[in-house]
Amino acid sequence: MRVPGVLVIGSEVPNLLEPGAAATLVVSQDVDLAIPVASHHSVKERLAEITGLVQSDDEPSVWVPDSSRTDLIELNFLGLDPSIVDPMDSYERPDDLLPLMVFGPLSLLSPGPPLEIDGLVIPLPRASGLVVEKLISDRSGEKGDRDLLVVAGLLAHMRGQDLTHVIQLIRGLGVELRHAVRSNLTILSLLEPRASMPDPRSMRTLVAELLDQLEER
Amino acid sequence: MTNAQRIREMQARGRIRRWEYRQRNLAHGAWLRFRTALAHAERAFHVSPELYESLVASGGNVDERGAGLQPPRRIVWITSTQVLDGAHELVLRLDAAMLAAEHLALVPFARL
Repeated sequence: MRVPGVLVIGSEVPNLLEPGAAATLVVSQDVDLAIPVASHHSVKERLAEITGLVQSDDEPSVWVPDSSRTDLIELNFLGLDPSIVDPMDSYERPDDLLPLMVFGPLSLLSPGPPLEIDGLVIPLPRASGLVVEKLISDRSGEKGDRDLLVVAGLLAHMRGQDLTHVIQLIRGLGVELRHAVRSNLTILSLLEPRASMPDPRSMRTLVAELLDQLEER
Repeated sequence: MTNAQRIREMQARGRIRRWEYRQRNLAHGAWLRFRTALAHAERAFHVSPELYESLVASGGNVDERGAGLQPPRRIVWITSTQVLDGAHELVLRLDAAMLAAEHLALVPFARL
C-alpha cells in the first residue's frame, strides 16, 4: 500500500505520534487507511498483493484476517476527497472491487513525517490535521469525550509550527465548523481526567490561547 | 456499525450542528458562552452576592456570558492577587458545584 498520499489514520495514530511511539492510549483493534480518491485505482491494483486478509462479506471496504491468521487485525479502507471537508458531505464511492466511504473531515489530513518501526515505513498524517479532524467530528458521550482527550494528548506534543497549522486549518473551515471547533475546545477545557488518558487539565492554558485566537467577535 | 451507518450518523450530527449554530445567539448558545468564559479562567471561585457586588464596585470586569442561563450566572473577573475572604474555590468543570454557583469570580490565565 505504499501509494503516494495513502495514510495510516484512525485511533492508533495518536499512539504512534507519541515520542518514541510510546502507545499509551487504548485504541480499537483495527487499522484505518485513508485512500485519496485520486489514488483509488493505484490502490486497487495492489490489493492482490495483500496476504492473510480477505475482503469482508458484510463490508466490502473492510478486509478481515483469514481463518489462519489470528495474529492480524482488520484493515478498513476509507476515502479521502480534498474537495469536501464537512461531515455532511460524506458519501459512498461505489466500486466493484473496493468501494469506499469518503468522509469529509479526512481531507484535513495531510502527510506528515513517516514513522519507521523495524524497517516498516508507516505513512502518518500531520498531527495538526488530526487535531482539527477530531475537533469537527462532533461525536457525543463517552466516545466524544475520549476523542477530545486524544486531542489533548496530541496538543501536548506539538511544536509552534504545528499549532500555527492548527489555527490555519480551523480558520479555513466554514463558519459552522469553526463554531463546532470552539464548542469542542470549551468542552475539552472542562473535562474530567480519565484513567489511562491524557490529562485535559494540563492543556487548559493552551486551549484558552487557541480559543483566544479563534474568537469571532 | 457499518460504514454506511457511520455516514448517516455523521450527517445526522451535521444537521444537529447546523441547528446549534443557528441557535448560537439564543438559549442554546448560552451554554457555549458560559463554557467559553470558564475555559478562559485559570481559577474559579463561588462568591456570595455581597462579595460579587463588592468586586464589581472595586473595578472587576463584569462578564455577561453567564447571563443567558436560568438562573443567570453573574461573573466577574478578578486578578490572581485579590484575596477573597469566604469564597469557595471550584474545580473548573461543569459539575454540580459549578452549576450551583450563581455568583462567580474568575481569574484569567496569566498568559492571556
